[in-house]
Amino acid sequence: MCLVLMLGLGVQSLFSQSVSLTGIVKNKNTSELLVGASVSIQGKSVALTDAAGRFSINTSLGSTLEISYTGFISTQLKVSKAGELEVLLDQNPASTLGDVVVIGYGTQKVTKISGAISTVKASDIEKLKPVRTEEALQGKASGVNVIQSGSPGSKPTVLVRGIPSFSGTDPVVIIDGIPQTLTDLNSISASDIESINVLKDAATTAIYGVKGGNGVIVVTTKSGRKNQKAAISINSNYGVQEVMNTIGVLNASEYGAIINEGSTTAGGPVIFPNLSSLGVGTDWQNQIFKSAALQSHTIAAQGGGDNMTYFLSAGYLSQGGIVGGSDKSRFDRGNFSANLTFDLSKKLKFLMNTTAVTLNSKGIQENSFNSVLGSALNFDPTVAVANTAANTVGKYGYSNLLLSEIFNPLTKLDNTFNSNLGSKLYGKFELQYNVIKNLTLSSRFGYTKYDGNAKSFTPLAFYGPLNVDNSMNADGSTVTGKHNSIAHEKVSNLNYTWESFANYNFKLKKDHNLETVLGFSLAKVSGNAAGATRQDVPFNSWEFADFTAATGNNTATNTNALAGYYYQYFRKNLSYFSRINYDYQEKYLASFSARRDGSYAFGTDNKFGNFFSGSLGWVVSKEKFFHADFVDQLKIRGSYGSTGNENVNPQFVSIVTGGPSYGSTANSNGYTFGDVFYPGSTVASAANTALRWEKQIQSNVGFDLVVFKNKFSLTADYFQKTVDGLLFTPSASLYLGTVPSPIANIGSTKSSGLDFTLNYNESIGKNFKFNTAVTFTTSKNEVTATNNDGTAKIFGGYYFNGQSQSVTVFEKGFTPGYFYGYKTAGLFQNAAEVAAYPKQAGAQPGDIKYVDVNGDGIINASDKTNIGNSFPKYTMGWSLNMAYKNFDFNAFVYASVGNDIYRAYERNANYSNKDRSVLARWTGEGSTNDARYPRYSFLDANSNIRVSDRYVEDGSFIKIKNLQLGYTFSTSNAKKWFNKARVYAQVKNAFTFTKYTGYDPEIAGGILDTGIDRGAYPQARTFSIGLDIKL
Amino acid sequence: MKINSIKIVSLVLVIIMLISCKKWVDYNPHDDFVITEQDYLKSESDYRNMLVSVYTPLQWINQVVPVGDIASDNAVSGGENASDVLSLQQIDDYSHTPVNSTLSEIWLTAYEGVNRANYMTQYKAANLAGQKVEFPGKEAMYGEVTFLRAYYYFTLVRMFGDVPLFTDKRLSLAESKSLKRSPKADVYKQIETDLGTAITALPAVQTQKGRITKYAAQALLGKVYLYQNKFDAAASMLDNVITSNAFTLVSDYASMFLATGENGPESIFEIQYSNTSPYYNWGGATRGQGNYAIQQCGIRGLNGSDQMPYAAGWSTNLPTQNLAAAYTAGDKRKTATVLDIEAYKTANPSFNITYQVAPYKNTGLYNQKYLPRKGETSGQVELNYLTNFRIIRYADVLLMAAEAYNRSTAANDVKAQGYLNQVRQRAFGNALNNVTATGSTLKQAIWDERRLELAMEGDRYFDLVRTGQAAAKINGFKTGKHEVFPIPQQEVDISGLTQNAGY
Repeated sequence: MCLVLMLGLGVQSLFSQSVSLTGIVKNKNTSELLVGASVSIQGKSVALTDAAGRFSINTSLGSTLEISYTGFISTQLKVSKAGELEVLLDQNPASTLGDVVVIGYGTQKVTKISGAISTVKASDIEKLKPVRTEEALQGKASGVNVIQSGSPGSKPTVLVRGIPSFSGTDPVVIIDGIPQTLTDLNSISASDIESINVLKDAATTAIYGVKGGNGVIVVTTKSGRKNQKAAISINSNYGVQEVMNTIGVLNASEYGAIINEGSTTAGGPVIFPNLSSLGVGTDWQNQIFKSAALQSHTIAAQGGGDNMTYFLSAGYLSQGGIVGGSDKSRFDRGNFSANLTFDLSKKLKFLMNTTAVTLNSKGIQENSFNSVLGSALNFDPTVAVANTAANTVGKYGYSNLLLSEIFNPLTKLDNTFNSNLGSKLYGKFELQYNVIKNLTLSSRFGYTKYDGNAKSFTPLAFYGPLNVDNSMNADGSTVTGKHNSIAHEKVSNLNYTWESFANYNFKLKKDHNLETVLGFSLAKVSGNAAGATRQDVPFNSWEFADFTAATGNNTATNTNALAGYYYQYFRKNLSYFSRINYDYQEKYLASFSARRDGSYAFGTDNKFGNFFSGSLGWVVSKEKFFHADFVDQLKIRGSYGSTGNENVNPQFVSIVTGGPSYGSTANSNGYTFGDVFYPGSTVASAANTALRWEKQIQSNVGFDLVVFKNKFSLTADYFQKTVDGLLFTPSASLYLGTVPSPIANIGSTKSSGLDFTLNYNESIGKNFKFNTAVTFTTSKNEVTATNNDGTAKIFGGYYFNGQSQSVTVFEKGFTPGYFYGYKTAGLFQNAAEVAAYPKQAGAQPGDIKYVDVNGDGIINASDKTNIGNSFPKYTMGWSLNMAYKNFDFNAFVYASVGNDIYRAYERNANYSNKDRSVLARWTGEGSTNDARYPRYSFLDANSNIRVSDRYVEDGSFIKIKNLQLGYTFSTSNAKKWFNKARVYAQVKNAFTFTKYTGYDPEIAGGILDTGIDRGAYPQARTFSIGLDIKL
Repeated sequence: MKINSIKIVSLVLVIIMLISCKKWVDYNPHDDFVITEQDYLKSESDYRNMLVSVYTPLQWINQVVPVGDIASDNAVSGGENASDVLSLQQIDDYSHTPVNSTLSEIWLTAYEGVNRANYMTQYKAANLAGQKVEFPGKEAMYGEVTFLRAYYYFTLVRMFGDVPLFTDKRLSLAESKSLKRSPKADVYKQIETDLGTAITALPAVQTQKGRITKYAAQALLGKVYLYQNKFDAAASMLDNVITSNAFTLVSDYASMFLATGENGPESIFEIQYSNTSPYYNWGGATRGQGNYAIQQCGIRGLNGSDQMPYAAGWSTNLPTQNLAAAYTAGDKRKTATVLDIEAYKTANPSFNITYQVAPYKNTGLYNQKYLPRKGETSGQVELNYLTNFRIIRYADVLLMAAEAYNRSTAANDVKAQGYLNQVRQRAFGNALNNVTATGSTLKQAIWDERRLELAMEGDRYFDLVRTGQAAAKINGFKTGKHEVFPIPQQEVDISGLTQNAGY
């Protein structure tokens, strides 16, 4: 829809006479002046608007003017009289070319950008209704990999362009100019967000210098407009979540049979003499998965007067957990935001954004074989749900076989008590002073204040009469020496940034446009935490679980009855930055940015570092020689530059006085003379004054193509980045002793990849609109150095299956966090095969054959090799939006291809339950040769449970992440009540197509823990209905 | 006007900012309440606190004692199976390689001891800030420092032969990979120098038990001479200890190894442990105040009545039948050294003893001297036994002196017999078993007596090597190779040190 206002509308004249006409062209929504808009008469360009958005022409009365501007809907108007015109152009909703993108310390028209940026707009976020903002980036922002977790409110893995390191890979988050962290994205209400821009290449991130190395997520929240009538919107959504699938474990009779086999093949007795009595028993997964509510409600108002604008919102979100239900696992959030701007004078503007958040969560033990979920998979299926044994206190059944580590998951849930309350206040105060035309000085103080108060109660528990982990006896009395306990922790932190900068935009001659910024920033992160634990909570009850009610006091024999701790920390940074964006007629683009960063953490030799970047762009479609009319825009871009990472703390030679050390090298102090302990002191740390940040060099080439009147658009980028100076502990001579070696910048990695976004819009007739987009993200990563001699490895992905195992490694020559273990080659079918095979200790027929990778005739640790990679080869997102009359439909599908999963949730104890795959086990020569199904026995001299590709599965998946069908009531239906009302039904995680046999192939974690399934909390399928009203 | 003033104010503000800004990122560890080396060694108590932690690594080189017997004919490494405590199994089987966690732990921790001692000598004259901190007893205190450094080097040299030698300072990362191995003779020379200094400085008596005395330094120097076959020097040095009359043999041999017998009249140097600071770091099992080696000696799955004194353990350090057979009838040391669990069980039916037979390399015997006992540990029970290691006892000094006199250039077998027979008379409770032999027969008698007297105290392997008997007595011992242990592979890889011959 287009609206044209003509000042001094008069009687149309039929006479054709020459008149002089002046006009001003503005963006209808923002009143922003449109510079360079084209004015044409009968297809012939007669003028362009100047820097003030003005044009002046001579034409004849009655002629038709067409005013057009890239990304806006052109408008036509008849000249009826001389004088002044104001032309307001509407943005073309199908086009992004008119968009203005928020970049570091300023904004830039998308057509002038020569760096690599991915954008997700409010409309897309609104449709998804995400709990955490990152969810809206998954598959929508190319170049960004998001791996979500199912645990309510928990932080996903977010990687912008590859894996630069083994830790510290979170991108920096900037909310309305204020630096925050990825963790903080749990407290922003998705409906408050106007847009999210992900800055990907060095040209756009270098202005964030030492913080920009992992990419920058720029979140802009909504604001009001001047002289806007209050627009009030109400959104409400209620849904039910449920688990998508369960894992096939043995039922009671199958379990009994397998246990009998395991025992007898190991020379033991038959455990279950009467298998037929066992029946199917209990599938504990059905006991712990509950359906849980997910609801969100927001109300917001935006508008403005002559001198001020406002955006006010309040929101509430509550997500219950499907493991254990809302009572035990949940995430609740309340938000209150006010974004206000005031014109204090003509030149002075004051902006204040304030958001208060309350967070309330509860959690359960996750991510291990003995977590609630892990216990459900591993617990004895022959046990009945309820405890029927006389004279025992337990509410739920217990096993007489599993006597430690793994308990009835219901008992575990029943004994889980915790609460975590947080309150956060964040926002900014900003003054903008317009010194002269196009020169603005801004000074901004951004802050985040968080206070958390957590509490957890460990009650006395009874797990069964023979259980070694009991703290309560069967009769309800306390096991001697055991206590229940309450633990409190209060954390408090305050992070602030004070930034002052000047933006000056000017023209040289007529067509050289320059936008410049120059400024500095001071930042401080500080915090402290205090905690206390106390034993002996009255009545062993959560009701009295508080330090004040607990009665424990330390005695000579029990020094743990009452304990406390405190710690504090801070970080400080100082930065200077500047950027020049240049364009010639919006045809040739260039940008140069520089940042000088100082960090308190670095040695005197490297206190400050400089980061530079540059980019060039060429809008080919603006060239005169370019004659392809179907092309609306073709831009070729390239950039190069450096950014950094400061994952380090200051170093010093400290002297520690005391006793035992629990540090990495156990560099203890003190000695006993006679029977008396005397504390001692010694050098406890060493300093590396050459310490500096991790330095990253990234180059990017790409193009933007818009064709067929904005119907198709394609943005594609290829990048290469090398990270140099990753922090590692150098290998030092052992004769230096046990003082931990200081970390040094000795590792490096390189990544390269491709990301693109394809968009297609179509309207058929008046009533049918259609939009679809595809994103594609891929990257290749390699560790190119660890330490001087390349021997240092960082191990991770630990789990326990009878032995502590490590699956992932960060090692030179491999992709970060690759799976490291034995390759299998089927099963030994008979003794002759064992004898003929390279020496493999303990092997018997039916055991797994491991590959002699190094060919030395013996199977040992040096045969461990690359057996998988938890990160996808590529990911894709496909979104579809359709509207027909008042109906709208949208779907979003996300695919991840080539990500492997390591199945690590099986405990493998003699009496723990097993995956159903054990039913396909080897039972004699020729029964199977599949290495996943070795013989089953309690004795495992061959260690079939060692880390091997037996447990690696292809975790590629296609997920239908979102399906939504809506109906909008037209205004005429109920004009008096609202402007617009929409009802919708939504299904999230409707279906997953995958070969993975576990719950959910999306397994989030750090770089070394991603893709290790220790019983990871699966994402829920959510059915919801919602209502959006605009008053 | 207005704009101008704002411009000026802005300019001034910017200038102030630029000047003061740099300070914003200055950092002083005091901001984080951290004490650095610039703040330390400013008072007597700083020096004394630091000395305490020079003792600490004595506790960490804990495994030298079990290795001293497991590597010999005295003990086997037992355990659950062939791969249980692999590092000790390989030493027991003489299949050990440069990759051995027990050996690298000894190497690493002994060098931490050297570095801690060096840090003190480095700042003896003046602290880091250049200040002189003088106080009464400083010299005597430094006697302890040099003794400890000598003890760490002695541990290194008798385990590994030629080792990197440095005494000027605590090495920093810059000195990593900078050193070569120094000849054994140079290391011994430095040990002699340090012990000489210690003897001059140290008092004869210390009020705190476990503090190094002049006699400990003399006894250790005597031992060091003996290891270099400097018998004349050894004889006179050890005689200093004997003639001081400061020590006596405890009449009840077995009582010496009870908690109540610690730091007794026969004790010259004991490494102190206690159960009063419970420790739980499995990542550094020997780095607390408890004696980790005790748990290794224990009987698996041991259960019994409250009166039964022993606690369960891991059976990874078991005396051999060969050792038990070496004791002649009437030698009271036998039952004080080896516990025959079956015999004990039968003798004490009221204890209702049940236990698990050692699953691997079972000998039926347990190390009675260092057997875990009920009530002697705390916290993480495996790591916190209070039992001290008896490192140098008066009996050892007598036997060393006997050997030194027997092997002196002017041999004095009468004196040698006298010292030897003091030990034997205590063992048998009479003079009927006195040795009257002379010459090399006497020498062998003294050597044999060392085994009987000091069994399971960690000296046997070193004695066998020192006296050239190792190849004859130890299965798998290869002359020219097994006199020393291999330099840890990691050190060879990182520091480019040469490996010992044959490894």
